[in-house]
Amino acid sequence: MDNLHLNQHISRQFNAELEDIRNRVMAMGGLVEQQLNDALQALTESDTTLAEVVVTNDYRVNAMEVTIDEECTQILARRQPAASDLRLVIAVIKTITDLERIGDEAERIGRMALKFSEAENAGKYLSGISHLGSHVSKMLHGALDAFARMDTEAAIKVARADRKADKEYEGILRELITYMMEDPRSIPHILEVMWSARALERIGDRARNICEYVIYLVQGKDVRHTSLEQVEKEAREFAKKRRDDK
Amino acid sequence: MLQSEDTRTETETNGMSEQVPLTHGVEIGALDRTGGDLSLDDEDIALEVNKLDLYYGDNHALKSISMQIPRNRVTAFIGPSGCGKSTLLRCFNRMNDLVDNCRVEGSITLDGKDIYDKSVNVAELRRRVGMVFQKPNPFPKSIFENVAYGLRLRGVKDRRTLTEVVEKALRGAAIWDEVKDRLEDNALGLSGGQQQRLVIARAIATEPEVLLLDEPASALDPISTLKIEELINDLKDRFTVVIVTHNMQQAARVSDYTAFMYLGELVEYADTNSLFTNPSEKKTEDYITGRYG
Repeated sequence: MDNLHLNQHISRQFNAELEDIRNRVMAMGGLVEQQLNDALQALTESDTTLAEVVVTNDYRVNAMEVTIDEECTQILARRQPAASDLRLVIAVIKTITDLERIGDEAERIGRMALKFSEAENAGKYLSGISHLGSHVSKMLHGALDAFARMDTEAAIKVARADRKADKEYEGILRELITYMMEDPRSIPHILEVMWSARALERIGDRARNICEYVIYLVQGKDVRHTSLEQVEKEAREFAKKRRDDK
Repeated sequence: MLQSEDTRTETETNGMSEQVPLTHGVEIGALDRTGGDLSLDDEDIALEVNKLDLYYGDNHALKSISMQIPRNRVTAFIGPSGCGKSTLLRCFNRMNDLVDNCRVEGSITLDGKDIYDKSVNVAELRRRVGMVFQKPNPFPKSIFENVAYGLRLRGVKDRRTLTEVVEKALRGAAIWDEVKDRLEDNALGLSGGQQQRLVIARAIATEPEVLLLDEPASALDPISTLKIEELINDLKDRFTVVIVTHNMQQAARVSDYTAFMYLGELVEYADTNSLFTNPSEKKTEDYITGRYG
């Protein structure tokens, strides 16, 4: 489902370049997803080896961001893209920034996992985390999928899921505060858990950002900082217009 | 690793508050999200084209064109070769009258008056609607006489008036500093870019209302092109500018409104920002992104 018909330029070289940055974003997304899942596994299973891997692998995410950025700059300078091509390049530049940040959050969780592995009876603090973790991991996967297929429906679904992530995060905070009040000696450990929860919640926000870029890319409409209802309404109008055009 | 938190999240998660709407209470309609796009509804309309059809013999070259050209703005026509953009431009000062078997139906009004009305004095119309062509065409006369030509034609003889007008026109065309010491030199000795600006000076010396530019920079080097583009931007303070260009980036750079034409039809006409970032017609999209053909 390539509704932006990327591969139809008169210049085949330009086709290849646009296709290439798209593929690279997908590769970067795949790596970031892997990093997140590894970090979560390291945290919940106290796997220090895996946590080390996550922490050292972050440089690869960073390197990919730099490379893709460079390629986008070249396209802007040499091709002066317009309309959907321009929106693709802009969306890619923004998406990789968010992906890189998600990579940083994963690294942060990896570092927590390293510290946390020595803590006693840490398990009871982590049940909420692993649940939120798998939720935002799914969100990230959905966002990348929406990007790959340029599917606004899927993008909206992910954006909607961010609300649940926020709710879960609030729930975790409440629970952790209760633990802290019960046993003040546990506060240092619980704070670590809290930072991890915070990192996960941020990942959810960033996955939502990526979905907003997908909507911008496909519909040409900037939906950042608008309500979900507004986004849905615009998507419906756009889909209707598409149908009417056909 | 520091990172700034965006405000949305602050609002959503601080103090475990209830779900806060992401818009901070601002109605979306109240936000000018497009950063001040132009709209034809707010414009003073100089030229209005109404269901214009043009035939060269049996060839239907313009098909029911309707559009409004706003005053003191730059309007660009883009489209592939043979789409009718130059033909449409030439309708605005009735240059097509000079073509055999050219037939025009429909109307074009300038300030509300039909320019194809029988009572219209075509010479006077062309004074009000000046035109500059792709290749600079200065007369083989001095620089001064080139610019003064239109005034002399109207019988202005007073040397002081002529000098004033010539200087003003040359300044207006951003070429005064380059030619002020050689006004008596032959205009054909100027470079292509200078000649083109001289021709623009000649066109604006008679104080037209509308300036038609048919590919004014396509025969020029990049620096001269930039000077012409800069000039176009200055000219719109005093004139309504309509420009035909093959160079899409040029249309994007200089114009306020852009019309995309294809096979004699006006496919899309919108403010330049929207047309180049989010065109509503697929044909426009294909053309400006280089997929046409």
